[in-house]
Amino acid sequence: MKHSAWLWLALISAVLGPTSRAETRPQYGSTLRTATSVALPSLDPADKTQPDSIAKRNLTRLMFDTLVTIDDRGRIKPGLAFSWQASSGNQRWEFRLRRGVKFHDGSPLTAQAVAASIRAANPEWTVVAGSDSVIVELGTPQPDLPSQLARSRNAIERRSEGGTLVGTGPFRVGDWQPGKKLSLAANEEYWRGRPFLDRIEIDLGRSGHDQMMAMGLGNLDLVELPPDQARRPAGEGQRVATSLPLVLLALRFNREAQSSDETKLRRALALSIDRSSIRNVVLQSTGETSGGLLPDWLSGYAFVFPAAQDLDHARQLCSEVKKTPVWTLGYDASDPLGRLIAERTALNAKDAGISIQVTGTSNPDMRLERFPLASLNPRLALAAFVSSSGGPTDPGLGDSVDDLFKAESAVVAKEQWIPLFYLPATYAMSSTIENWSQHRDGTIDFEDLWIGGRP
Amino acid sequence: MPSILDKRYPGSGWTWLVTGSRSRAVYNSRIAQMFASFPSGRLLCLVVGLFLLLPSLTLAADWEAPQRELARKISAVCGPAPVSLEMVNRSELGKKDIDQISLGLRSQLNGLGVHVAPPEQATAAVKVSISENLQSYVWVAEIRQGSESSTVMVSAPRPDVGFQREASSAFILRKIPLWAQEDRILDVAVLEESATPTLIAVLDPEKVALYRFTENRWRQETALAISHSRTWPRDMRGRIVPRQDHLLDIYLPGVFCQIPASSPLTLVCRDSDDPWPLSSQFPLAAFYATTRNFFTGVLSPGVGKQTTKFYSAAPLPRPSYTLWILTGVDGSLHLLDGVTDQTANVGWGSDVATIKTACGSGWQVLATHAGDESSDSVRAYEFADREPAAVSQPLEFGGGITALWTEAKGGTAISVSRNVKTGNYEAFRLALACAN
Repeated sequence: MKHSAWLWLALISAVLGPTSRAETRPQYGSTLRTATSVALPSLDPADKTQPDSIAKRNLTRLMFDTLVTIDDRGRIKPGLAFSWQASSGNQRWEFRLRRGVKFHDGSPLTAQAVAASIRAANPEWTVVAGSDSVIVELGTPQPDLPSQLARSRNAIERRSEGGTLVGTGPFRVGDWQPGKKLSLAANEEYWRGRPFLDRIEIDLGRSGHDQMMAMGLGNLDLVELPPDQARRPAGEGQRVATSLPLVLLALRFNREAQSSDETKLRRALALSIDRSSIRNVVLQSTGETSGGLLPDWLSGYAFVFPAAQDLDHARQLCSEVKKTPVWTLGYDASDPLGRLIAERTALNAKDAGISIQVTGTSNPDMRLERFPLASLNPRLALAAFVSSSGGPTDPGLGDSVDDLFKAESAVVAKEQWIPLFYLPATYAMSSTIENWSQHRDGTIDFEDLWIGGRP
Repeated sequence: MPSILDKRYPGSGWTWLVTGSRSRAVYNSRIAQMFASFPSGRLLCLVVGLFLLLPSLTLAADWEAPQRELARKISAVCGPAPVSLEMVNRSELGKKDIDQISLGLRSQLNGLGVHVAPPEQATAAVKVSISENLQSYVWVAEIRQGSESSTVMVSAPRPDVGFQREASSAFILRKIPLWAQEDRILDVAVLEESATPTLIAVLDPEKVALYRFTENRWRQETALAISHSRTWPRDMRGRIVPRQDHLLDIYLPGVFCQIPASSPLTLVCRDSDDPWPLSSQFPLAAFYATTRNFFTGVLSPGVGKQTTKFYSAAPLPRPSYTLWILTGVDGSLHLLDGVTDQTANVGWGSDVATIKTACGSGWQVLATHAGDESSDSVRAYEFADREPAAVSQPLEFGGGITALWTEAKGGTAISVSRNVKTGNYEAFRLALACAN
């Protein structure tokens, strides 16, 4: 009797089976097909000729590890180093290395290899290899050195005998066509445990439009969404994931203001821009307007920096200046949104009495640029803004939130930067992708992803 | 400390920011190899005598220090004068906390001679925004005195989020918090208890730690490192099995450990492919795939021709045989009786455990739910024959379940889940109470 009930259950299960698969534990296997708009010409994490981007960090993390990592609350966690110790007032740091870790070519991770890698990425540091540790000696106190070493540009790399770059990360390089394609295979001996995925196929240098088309055709599982597409409804069998706002879109002048009049004009420009309208129209309400360099979720005080348009004040400042120059504003020609935002900025500036020419020339007075947050350590993130505009690499920021605020206020007051928006990193993905985990710095745990529901 | 008086963007340069060398405590995060320090701040373990009495853990926030500090900074700008005070909440804190902060701040300001007055009687307007960042709350005071404005701020630590009360009904499935920590928990075993657990073992990938409840708090009694030469697989699993003749056996992927009955306690580990016991009450063991997260399908002793890879197994005694319920790697449920292997998809997750209770038929199967990793639930089922019937409401968890094992005595189960909000792994004892 009960047997018939069981058969009925089995029948229902057979019908519903494809949509009610029950596994919740990760499954090993499958290939993830993805793409990025970044056409990376090199896999070298320390290659400073390539601008920093979330995509570059993600690619680096696939193949390389860092000595330490930084978690979503900004705390330093062990990586290839399992402990660390500072002495001499934070001028000497010793990192003890994890044993049993191997590079992708099978060679062991040694202190010598680690020291050489860090030295290559930071020639100004003195890096010494111990027996099972690496010592970094610095000219000035560096309390944030672990945060610095957690950045992907400091990932540990080694040149194999054949000249190939190898790392210790969760995936090893299978096929590499610079700027075009990267095929990765699971590192079976990864020290944190073999990734669930067998392979990852990455198309490089594909535009957002191309990526979405490919996904629509079922040729990609995971694609980047441009900001103006971030709020689009997910297609059938797809879902969308958005990070916290972590990429600053800002105007950056190519030099510091040379006079008080120039400072006033730059301030007038900052006040003239109608960020809210640009966000609503051009960015389709994605991200948030910003008057500060650090996002509110990282600093906790960004709302103090005004981001609203104040044309009266802008005009007043312009009227106090004897002569107003014509500025040129450059943008990334490969970024379709860049031109739109640059043109809207020029229009807003004109209302305040400032002339701006939007241009594709190589050396404009200012550029519209994207700056991914350098670190979840707010001091380091702010220091990165300072150093990227020619300031000291170690501006000696204080420990307290008040110190940080004062330091950021000072940078913003110089008017070399005009922050506009903080944008998220957004992805569309196939609903078969499981265990999606995106960190607050925008990086993705590819090694934890797995593909479900595929025959 | 200079106050900032610029109307729009305060500050004017770097000179006063360069503070030279600073003496700062070196942060060296708690790591797997460091056992000495006990994470007392994260200690959220609480045991109750009766399963039906689930305590709600809340950590009372202490705002006094930041209140005092912010009041001092405001006072330094305003001097002893009447000020208006406006509070704005930009954080996750509730009204109760904001009211508490406001009250304390007023009191501290008053003590410094800064009296809070209506706006029309005030010489300065103070707007305090309670904001937050990754690690702390940030209290920002924007002070306006005539045409000048200043901004001062302080940070206040964020308490960890405690366990949350869950809903229940019918056959009531309850979760009793046992332990929470940042490192992955593989299993927890209650080794001693009177009305409440007094000694527990917590297994993580690098150690097994014993904690004793004494003087109203849990204290680490010992932590024994697991020596192993293998690389642990991702989605690692492990199991503690308390024993009669010695303290514990521990099963890990490709490694077997034991705490012998000797003093001081030691942990002896060796590479081993020995099968893991699937139940303390039914003599069946299964071989575990040492580089994956499932059982190979080979059982000891065998049950019919079973060869399906599976994640977990739950026995149900029948008059003349034991029915084994396996959650297959292929997503289907397998019911083995020694002769047949019936399969179905019933929307269950990959973890199941049997408990023996005084409710209903006496045997219930706890099963996780097939869902996304942001939440998970466990529900109790009975099998009148071979079709499952839910006998409790789903018991919700704040993240995916990573382990579900029946406890040694068989009446309760241990679950481990990862709270997506805090990132902590949380171990609970799951118990079923009859409806009446």
